[in-house]
Amino acid sequence: MNSSPLSRRDFLRHSALATAVAAAPLILPSGLRGQNAPSKKITVGIIGCGNIADGHYGPLLGSPESLKVLGVCDVDRDRVNAAAVRVNTAYENTDCKTYSDFRELNRRPDIDAVFICTPDHWHALIAIDAMRNGKDVYIEKPLTLTIAEGRAVVEAARKYGRVAQHGTQHRSMKRFHDVAEFVRNNGLGKLDRIDCWIPPNNRFCDATWKPEAVPANLDWDLWLGPAPWRPYSSIGCHYNFRFIAESAYGQVTNWGAHYLDIGQWALGMDDSGPVSVEGKGEFPSSGLFTNATSVNFTVRYANGVPMHCRTRYEGGGTVRFVGERGWLDIARDKMSASDPNLLREMQAPNKPIQLELSKNHQDNFFECVRSRARPIADVELGHRTTTVCNLGQIAMVLGRKLQWDAAKEEFVGDDAANRLRTRAMRSPWSLA
Amino acid sequence: MNAETPAAPAAKSKKVVSANPADRYSNAGPSPDPWARCALIEYGGDRSYAWTVRERVIHTPAAETGRTEQQLLKSLATPGRTEAGLAFICQMLAMVGSAKSVPVLAPLLQDAKTTEAARYALQPITGPEADAAFLAALGTLTGNAKAGLIGSIGVRGDTAAKSALTAIKDAATEPAIVRGAATRALARIATFKA
Repeated sequence: MNSSPLSRRDFLRHSALATAVAAAPLILPSGLRGQNAPSKKITVGIIGCGNIADGHYGPLLGSPESLKVLGVCDVDRDRVNAAAVRVNTAYENTDCKTYSDFRELNRRPDIDAVFICTPDHWHALIAIDAMRNGKDVYIEKPLTLTIAEGRAVVEAARKYGRVAQHGTQHRSMKRFHDVAEFVRNNGLGKLDRIDCWIPPNNRFCDATWKPEAVPANLDWDLWLGPAPWRPYSSIGCHYNFRFIAESAYGQVTNWGAHYLDIGQWALGMDDSGPVSVEGKGEFPSSGLFTNATSVNFTVRYANGVPMHCRTRYEGGGTVRFVGERGWLDIARDKMSASDPNLLREMQAPNKPIQLELSKNHQDNFFECVRSRARPIADVELGHRTTTVCNLGQIAMVLGRKLQWDAAKEEFVGDDAANRLRTRAMRSPWSLA
Repeated sequence: MNAETPAAPAAKSKKVVSANPADRYSNAGPSPDPWARCALIEYGGDRSYAWTVRERVIHTPAAETGRTEQQLLKSLATPGRTEAGLAFICQMLAMVGSAKSVPVLAPLLQDAKTTEAARYALQPITGPEADAAFLAALGTLTGNAKAGLIGSIGVRGDTAAKSALTAIKDAATEPAIVRGAATRALARIATFKA
């Protein structure tokens, strides 16, 4: 047996294998080697110590009996030092090391897994480098910036036999699981459409931004990495990168990655995608921010079901499934239906199609690091969801309807659209 | 003067030529040409001309991309072209550029000061002309820029570049980052059919 993750379907189908896997002589990550590997601590590195990483410290530091954070990495010295203090304070020691260059952390042989919480334009390269160096990876959403990067990450995960979890934690929330499973089992009858609502941009930049001196604590060249060079501006760095198309695709990838993902799950499209996309976005014509301030696109699947994605200015993100029996509306903190009976039916056991249930996204990842099974949000489905986000972005940029071949991962008969599936990286970085 | 007095004939003046037909209704002079002005944008400055060009590039019908490409190439030659202007024009050429752009972009690819923008435009252009431009630049670039160039060759899957990349991979005089890039590019090219 090699260390390649099993497909989740195979893993569940042969339940006896689950026990066998734990005892089998797998090629385990460095810290897990040993006869009683499940009792060993999994060692972790965190790359990117900003806003998104904040949500991981609690779970990672709260299980010192099974997990240990050995290193933190950020190109902002203030941020990485603060992260190290946080880790060392929790452990009451000074063991956590700091890094400004992810390659140094990735080359530590004693680290089993890395959490990638950087700006989106870095996700693919850091993940591939980590997997090449034998790390399992938890990659924050969106999986990658471009479609080509996403496929490269999936290929790397398979080539190096690594566990790779996409940070779409809705997949590990029972509410979303139940709705997806209910829809998959035709609980709403024939599905009419899916409506995804995403929040509006929460930062803005007018035409008055100016280049600034790079702060002494920041390695701006490494912050940019593969993104096209531009001068430093505090407006266009931490957090706000998501509104600049060289780094991210705004709320399309920030929140769309969550809600479009549930649509993909409910439709059984985890290894495929829609057949067409069209949309219109409102893009700022001045200032540093270039991503849409208003989003409106529709992807359509081979069964005829459309999934709409639109900006909603009040009420936050949500996904609504509309079928012949009514509708279900679900967000992180609430769920409602056109008929209360639908909510009761949803809880009925023994549905013909049963989706995997994960109670906690980080726990699921670490369980898979030990078992070598594929996680609840394996990179393939993460890539497919991120692709849907990309399709919407590309359709809005080009302003025309596009046909998509999900098997070939290419647009049909549209050279300009196909070119937007990838982009050249700034030296010395490359997907090759 | 009463209303019946015939108007004096208009004095012959030099005809103002403008790209914008609406200018004949204005006495404010000709509109600036966005294709030229987009080459002069500055980081942190007004990018409205670039926005206008971007809209025209994006909405060019497929049958007319050749004309748009020519306009962009003309923009590249604008006197006083800025770094931001070059980057912008190359981003547009990345969408509509063809073999016709290669002779203009190839010298920029070989220059360390302009190679990043040129590579951004050239990487998606398929065909032997662009392949040749990448190979030629191997002889002029060094260090990080050369590593990036090699990465693009790998992404393009140019099987004809294997011997050149193998020589670089084995060259003790090349820095590790360049040799490493060559190694990975060769591995990538091996996945393409010759």
